[in-house]
Amino acid sequence: MRDTERHTTGRRCALLSVAGLCVVLAVVACGGRGGGAVKGPVDVAAALRQPATITVWTWMPGTPEAVKMFRRAYPHIKVKVEHVGQGPPHYQKLRTALKAGRGLPDVVHMELQYIPSFLLTESLLDMTPYLPPEFLEGYPEWIRRQVNVDGGIYGVPWDTGPVGLIYRRDLLEQANIRTPIETWDEFADAAIAYHKANPDSYLVNMPGGQMGQWLALFWQAGARPFSSDPRNLKVELTDPRIKRVTAFWDRLYAAGAVSHDPDFSDAWYQGFARGRYAGWVSAAWGPVLLEDFTRNSKGRWRAQALPQWRRGEHVSGNWGGSTLAVLKGTEHPAVATEFARWILSEQEPVEMFAFDRYLFPARTAMLNNPRWLDRTYPFYGSQAVDRVFADMNDAVDTTWEWPPILEYVATEGDAILGKSVERGAGATAALQQWQDAVVEYAEQQGLEVAGR
Amino acid sequence: MGDTTRSPRDRHARAGLAFTLPFMALFAAVFVAPLLYALYLSLFRERLVGGREFVGLEHYVEGLQDEAFLGGVGRVALFVAVQVPVMLGLALVLALVLDSGRVRFARLFRVGIFVPYAVPTVIAALMWGFLYGRDFGPIADVANRLGVPAPNLLGADTLLWSIANVTTWTFTGFNMIVLLTALRGIAPEVYEAAALDGAGAVRTALHVKLPLLRPALLLCTVFSVIGAFQLFAEPRIFFTMAPQVIGKDFTPNLYVFNLAFSDHRLNYAAALSFLLGAVVFVVSFVVMHLSRRPATRG
Amino acid sequence: MSAHPARGRVPLTLLMLVVLAYFALPLLWLLIASTKSLAELFSTFGLWFGEFRLLDNVEETFSTDDGVYWLWLRNTLLYSLVSAVGAALLAALAGYGFAQYEFRGKRVLFWCVLGSVMVPATALAIPTYLMFSRLGLTNTPLAVILPSLVSPFGIYLMRIYAEATVPPELIEAARLDGAGEWRIFRTIAFRLLVPGFVTILLFTFVATWNNYFLPLVMLSEPHWYPLTLGLAHWNAMATAGGGATAAFNIVICGALISILPLIVAFVLLQRHWYRPRGA
Repeated sequence: MRDTERHTTGRRCALLSVAGLCVVLAVVACGGRGGGAVKGPVDVAAALRQPATITVWTWMPGTPEAVKMFRRAYPHIKVKVEHVGQGPPHYQKLRTALKAGRGLPDVVHMELQYIPSFLLTESLLDMTPYLPPEFLEGYPEWIRRQVNVDGGIYGVPWDTGPVGLIYRRDLLEQANIRTPIETWDEFADAAIAYHKANPDSYLVNMPGGQMGQWLALFWQAGARPFSSDPRNLKVELTDPRIKRVTAFWDRLYAAGAVSHDPDFSDAWYQGFARGRYAGWVSAAWGPVLLEDFTRNSKGRWRAQALPQWRRGEHVSGNWGGSTLAVLKGTEHPAVATEFARWILSEQEPVEMFAFDRYLFPARTAMLNNPRWLDRTYPFYGSQAVDRVFADMNDAVDTTWEWPPILEYVATEGDAILGKSVERGAGATAALQQWQDAVVEYAEQQGLEVAGR
Repeated sequence: MGDTTRSPRDRHARAGLAFTLPFMALFAAVFVAPLLYALYLSLFRERLVGGREFVGLEHYVEGLQDEAFLGGVGRVALFVAVQVPVMLGLALVLALVLDSGRVRFARLFRVGIFVPYAVPTVIAALMWGFLYGRDFGPIADVANRLGVPAPNLLGADTLLWSIANVTTWTFTGFNMIVLLTALRGIAPEVYEAAALDGAGAVRTALHVKLPLLRPALLLCTVFSVIGAFQLFAEPRIFFTMAPQVIGKDFTPNLYVFNLAFSDHRLNYAAALSFLLGAVVFVVSFVVMHLSRRPATRG
Repeated sequence: MSAHPARGRVPLTLLMLVVLAYFALPLLWLLIASTKSLAELFSTFGLWFGEFRLLDNVEETFSTDDGVYWLWLRNTLLYSLVSAVGAALLAALAGYGFAQYEFRGKRVLFWCVLGSVMVPATALAIPTYLMFSRLGLTNTPLAVILPSLVSPFGIYLMRIYAEATVPPELIEAARLDGAGEWRIFRTIAFRLLVPGFVTILLFTFVATWNNYFLPLVMLSEPHWYPLTLGLAHWNAMATAGGGATAAFNIVICGALISILPLIVAFVLLQRHWYRPRGA
């Protein structure tokens, strides 16, 4: 009796498993989403006359207003804006949806640094057939090179983040620090002196795990650690120019002259509110984030050019900067591209983003617009800050490339460098580990790393 | 009279199956099927460049040597070894005290201690995160006023225990209620016998109530252990406050999640989650086995 | 039990008050913090009031992002209610089946179900997501509800409860009277199982209300988020800044509002989760 019972039990178990397996196979076998290849010659104008609904995934404030403006020009086109996350969570959701082949938007917020990573998985649409000829002429060269890859246009530039130094003028004056600080050597002296005079405060906070900031500084120092070509991937994170930057900051960490609290956290905002940080090596979009938390220091902030490695130089780097890209599988390539083009290059929305949302514009016309250049912001007292950052924008080197595995490079760098700095070992000591991890990951994923 | 060709026993067996069928069908769909699919995924590797290839047990071998994974497992094991006894010890003491009838406002305490269970771990982590803030949190504020240096509750040495505190705060009440309910089930005759033997409150608690609570305690232990090994929400919320401590791999579940959704290593993530499941199974089994032995001894 | 003298009552009660204070502290902080404006959150002592702005914060919470908080409330209620009733029903049926009947493979099936609690949720999340997305279920309420209907703990509880409270003699008698199995369950057994049913109902309700991981994986439109996911989303936005619409004071106020329903339910439904002796 027991044998038959066990036999039947085994059979029941097997039946359950087979049932499960059948469910799996049936579901997996059902196809996903078809590709949206361009069929024949493109008649953009005709496509734009048809009613359509497109979905846009972005976190950029001001987008709903831009959509309203767009709809006045194209009333038959409906636009759904969704905010699925900011930064890494946004890209994670995008990846998951791409893998599932469903639930994908048409237009997607794509920061400059992520474009090669999504090109690697062939997720982005080449917008060239749907854009007016010479479209990219309206942008500075370094931005053009970021979106114009292998002859295709993969993003319509939105905003950028040239890096400068912002600081509390009153706090620096109190500590007898002369501004503007022109070189990094001067900066080091100032940081040490400032902290000596104010033991509870620091000239700046430099988190160990903020890749956007580190990479911008490497960019400024002349390093080119990456290439975008997956068949010949360059990974040079231990380059002497990078080490120069990390060694510089390691000295300041060791001297206790700068803090290394994680940024974009509750405690960090409070740091600004209570004067724990007197400055920030920030991108142009930085102050907008601080506005809510620095009401008590409004008007006392100033911006200056990023300190240079050699006196008289004029070089900067870029932190962030966004575009709107279109996904390859979209059913409305012309409409999606036109939406991106319209809200990012027509005067009305571009001015709205620049004046009402304080985004640092990408378009050359806007960058030269005197109304924008001479604008003052309450945060900065009476300083025409846009001129400072526009100046830095001109100083961004055009040959920088991003790796096509940025998600991994950035999150791994955040973790490895962040931990090292927190432990007191500094950032330079962690560079080799970061390098090794990235190379190993790249090879695991099938890329060919140069020199291996 | 119904179908007489089949024995009542068979008829009943079929009915029994029929009752369990709705649940089992759903179970097959949302548990067994994904599990098998995960197993299938763990045997392959999908690369960003080059598509899918069969790799057999490679991912499992890699996982067993993966410092990040093993470190995470060690970390939650330490967490379990300390947090679970502390929490259950507290729950036990509270249950015994409240059951003893020597406390006024017992109902207030019962409800007040249980209420944190109503708070999702995400919110609990958010609240405690604000409280822990080193420079500006209330705990630090109080320390400053007392002239004591503010403790860094979000640092590399302390964060695990700060998270343990969140878990304890959230679930002690639940475990206390389970134990209280078990205590309530003890027949009054047992107490009468103990009183006749001259046992006071404490001795009653130790020698009468405690042994009878063993099954309930075991249940609580096993569920707490399983839950603690799967720590995810708290480290994820604390990541924004202390990214350099949490990193990508503070707990195995967080590591698996990041591998899958951030690093595009779904297959490796699937293999690691099976390894983690195996660890949880072994530990649960050991816990259950260990607690049985004393009962069989005299 | 109540024959104990008052001796020893005061010190124990005081001790318990200290313990209660520990459990109440964060909730107290949450309550106080919800009354503060954003600026005051960062400049006043955490455990005392500043300027009282609770109503303003509440209004802001419900109006931010075009009132998405209402949607989150609705979603949470929907997921929790449907999952709770469904899970309890399925558990009642299956628990009764396991308790009352003998069939081949019963033991194995039961232990398979119990064993499933040991499988980490992350192992299932990705494959379930992939499967659901092929079926077009992701980003819908079903994606959260279906997995929540499976409660192994509920099966275990229901089986034990059924074994303890449904006397086989009663069932036999009903059978002799000619009643079919389903009728027996519906009219006799289920009535006896109601307290267990309610326990699982409440347990699943709370578990689904507080679930974060499952909706995190399954949902990508804020439109369908439950409160846990929505608040974490707002917290991420507030943390990342960028002139975002949600700020910390709204996260905190939203968190307070989100836990109130369950807390009130806990207090009002006390007799379902603990009945004191003699009651």
